[in-house]
Parts: sequence; C-alpha cells; structure tokens
Amino acid sequence: MLLEISDLSVEFRLLQDKVKALHQVSLSIDRGEIVGVVGESGSGKSVTALSVLGLLDKNATITGGAIRFKGTDVLRLSPRERQALRGKEIGMVFQEPMTALNPTMRIGAQLAEVFRLHRGVSRKEAYALAVNSLAEVHIRDPELVARKYPFELSGGMRQRVVIALAMAAPPELLIADEPTTALDVTIQAEILKLMKELAESRGTAIMLITHDLGVVAQLCQRVVVMYAGEVVETGKTRHVLAAPVHPYTRALIGALPDLADPDQPLQAIAGEVPDLRHRPAGCIFASRCAAANEQCRSQHPVLEMVSAERETHQAACWVR
Amino acid sequence: METMLQVNGVAKRYGTGKQQVQAVKQVTFSIRRGETFGLIGESGCGKSTLGKIIIGLEPPTAGEVLYRGEPLWQKNRFQRQKPGDIQIVFQDPQSSLDPRMTIRDIICEPLLALPAHERKEKGSEERLHNLIKRVGLKVEQLSRYPHEFSGGQRQRIAIARALITDPQFVVLDEPTSALDVSVQAQVLNLLKELKRERNLTYLFISHNMAVIRYMCDRMAVMYKGEIVEQGVTADIFRQSAHPYTASLLSSLPSLFQQKGG
Repeated sequence: MLLEISDLSVEFRLLQDKVKALHQVSLSIDRGEIVGVVGESGSGKSVTALSVLGLLDKNATITGGAIRFKGTDVLRLSPRERQALRGKEIGMVFQEPMTALNPTMRIGAQLAEVFRLHRGVSRKEAYALAVNSLAEVHIRDPELVARKYPFELSGGMRQRVVIALAMAAPPELLIADEPTTALDVTIQAEILKLMKELAESRGTAIMLITHDLGVVAQLCQRVVVMYAGEVVETGKTRHVLAAPVHPYTRALIGALPDLADPDQPLQAIAGEVPDLRHRPAGCIFASRCAAANEQCRSQHPVLEMVSAERETHQAACWVR
Repeated sequence: METMLQVNGVAKRYGTGKQQVQAVKQVTFSIRRGETFGLIGESGCGKSTLGKIIIGLEPPTAGEVLYRGEPLWQKNRFQRQKPGDIQIVFQDPQSSLDPRMTIRDIICEPLLALPAHERKEKGSEERLHNLIKRVGLKVEQLSRYPHEFSGGQRQRIAIARALITDPQFVVLDEPTSALDVSVQAQVLNLLKELKRERNLTYLFISHNMAVIRYMCDRMAVMYKGEIVEQGVTADIFRQSAHPYTASLLSSLPSLFQQKGG
C-alpha cells in the first residue's frame, strides 16, 4: 500500500467546544490507483486530505490513528521531514487554482523553481523542463504561456499549470481536492481526462476529493463515501454506484437529477447533519435514515464486507 | 398559450472603445405563462446579464423586452407596471441576504415597493406565517439572523422573499449551484411544487444540464452571448442540433458510463 490511513480521528477546538471532525477514518490507496473520496460539505473529506499533507489548521488535533505513507507513519515525522514529503512525493491540487499560484511570478519561473528544488538542475535546464511540462498538460504554445502571469490565463489553463506544478517532482501520490469544481463542465471534462492520462503514464496514485459522484464514476477505480466525518461505504466504483448498500449512499445517488428519467421527483434527504460537537452513540446517519431501528440509535456500526463475491465492498450499516 | 415574456433582439454591451465587451448579442426568445424556461451556458456566456435585464437591474443596449405585451425598458428606464410581479432568487444566499436584518425584515422588504393597501394585505401576519411554513421554515425563526441558517435554509428564505409579493414571474439565477446535492434536491422539489400551487412562470438560469433537464419545459443554450439552440428540453436532450450543446451533454459526467474499475 502506498497510503494507509487507519482509525484517524481529528478534533477542532472552537471557543468553548470541541468538534469531532473525523471519527476513526480508515482508507488506503495503492500505487497507481485512483481513489475517490466523496461526501457533502462537512463530511470530513478535505480534513482527511489535509491530515495526510500535514496542513491542518492550528486549532486541529489528531486524537488517534495513524497515516502511513510507504510504510512510514507520517504523524511521527518532524515538520521538516513532512515538508520534504510535500510536493516531492505527495503532490497537491486544490479547488481554486489562483490561490495556488504566485500572482507576481511568470508561469515559467514558478515551474522552473519547482524543478530546481526537486531535481537540482541548472536554471536553464529547469526552464526547459518547465516549458516541456506545460506541453505535457496539453497547453498549446507553451513558450508563450511560460512568459505569462497567472491573471492572464483562464481558469482551466491555470488549473493545467497547477497540475503541471504538482506533477513536477513527479510525486507518487497526488491529492486533488475538488480540482474541477470551479471550472465549467466542458473544461472539467478535459482536466479529468488529463489527470487520468498523467496518472496512467507515470504511475501516480490519485486521491480525488469531490462532492460529485459523476466525477468519481468517470475517473476512480475505487470510492470512499464519507458522511459527518466517518467512512460509511467503500468499494470498487462500479459496485458502490450500481448497487449502493448504505442508505446515505443510496440517498446521495437518488438526490441527483436523472437524465434518463426527468419526471421522477428527486429524493431529498430529510433533516440535517448532526451536531459534531456531540456525536451520537449509534449510527451517525440514524437521525436521517428511514430504515433506522433501535440498534442503529444505540450501537455504532463498523465497516463490514457486503458480500463474499464483491471483495473490498464494505459498508457501516446495521440494517442493510 | 399566453406569452409572458418576450425578449426581442436584446443586446448588452459593457464598456467603451477597446475595453468594450459584448456580453449579450441579439438574443430572442419568449416564455409562455406557466412554463419553466431554462437558460443554460457556461461562465461568461451572458446568461446572468440577461436575467438582470429582465428584472430591471441592467438596461439593454439594444432590443426590447416585453412583459405581458408591455415594454419593460424605455430609454434605460425600467417601467415597472405592477410592483412585485417579477421576482428573482440569486445563486449565493450568503451574499443575497443582508446579515444585519432579521429573517422577518428580509422576507417583508419587497412589500415596501407595493402601494399601501396591497402592502397591508400581502404583509399580513397570517400570510407571512403560511409562507414561511410552506418553504419549510418555522415561525419562531423569523426573528433570527441569516448567519444562524445553513445554505439550504437561506435559499428557502430567499424563495420566501421572492414569493411574498405574490409574483407571477420568477427569475431563478443558479438557485442551487452553491448547495450540496441532497439539499439541492430539497430546493428543486420545493420550487417545482410552488410553481404548480401558485401557477408561476420561471426563467431558470443554470450551468447544470441535469438540473435543467429536471426543471424545464423548454430551454435555450447560450454560448458567447448568443443563443445557439432553443426548443423543448426533451427534444434537445434527445437530439441536439448545435455542436456546442452536444459537447455540453457529452461533458456531463454520468454515474454509469465509467471507464475505470
């Protein structure tokens, strides 16, 4: 396993309260694998990614669990060692490309800096690598773009540059947090295709964080469904999407407008996400679940195999 | 069927000289009473500018907009025939609700534009309570402030504000784009129900093809300020005439066409 997160719990300190943002989250990513982490706002998907990167806010504490990258528990590394991991072995792409780029530096110079840092090459070589990397993310006329500033580029072009930056080292794991959410659909399709292509050609694994099940379907081999800071279902994408087991996953799919059957009313999920300052004793989804029974309300379910023939498909639910 | 809104050759230009941007070019379409008309396009295509022209926030630089046969704009002046008859719900309920106003004040504010007798009648406590309950909020919440509500609840407040004047025509500008899918489903279903109950006519602006398919009877596809295709939603989805529409449709990630796994 390239990345192995086990029983990770994270707490945020607020003025008086503690919010338990993650509760015993476990997930793993193999070399070269594309895994989708999907959930709605507040599900903990970004907190999971930031924990791996070591970029959690100061008011957050990891209260339990381990994160192993290539066998090493990264939570035991010194800040300097973690810094060395970031960028070089674990690349990152965030939602808003403008915040990832230095607005006062030309594109070519920004990229060249990364190549100098990670590959220790001369300035001239680094610049040549930078221009070449722009070509690799399918930017037409890379020499011209290298001389531009970020504000001169469109959102889709900027995200291509960010991907080129993230892939510069090249990393073994790319963490992409909603990489296409700020982009138009036609551009989104191109960026997703590009990420898939790069992952395949370089053997980079991708942890793709998204709220969009459609994006997961298009790109990911496996999917991890999160709700209120917990993993509720996981498995191969085709298994989970075609035959979801957890009521939350089912509801999430039912809430999407269906192009094939537009007259079918959308299934809204009643109620709201529980208050994470006080996690319920039972299932985290019980308060919004139509099938919930006494056991659901009192005992916390754990991830269990769904069926013998669908290996790796697991769900945390008592009533399935 | 009666034509509710007729947009004839409307264009909108921003800026002058070299800085000039043609946001909307020669757009023509009409919306019939009781239908939901979808306007789809990507960022910068001019769909929101068109929405602003229709509700009176921006004058067009050419063309005319007829609302129930009467022109809405005369020489950059918005002709409001019947106050509160056309309303709008914006995309981001975070910025469209004044943080210093209570929910009651926010919802009742549009009534200030009405003549006194109508204001009294439409602003009655009973009507307000019925409306707030209808959109899925509680009467006790009227004295609260926007920051105490979630995104979905805020959008319900914005919908109540649009409906307090009993409008006939509502512009919905990306009303669910800032919401999670499960919440989006609640809000879309609510909008559909309200339309049926109150015989509303909607202009639904969105960049999301699946949402347009779910909501709209007819639709127009905008690209770079122009309408490249319009017609019955089901027909366009079955067979799109314009390559841009086809590329929009094929870009839509669907759940069951995955290649991975």
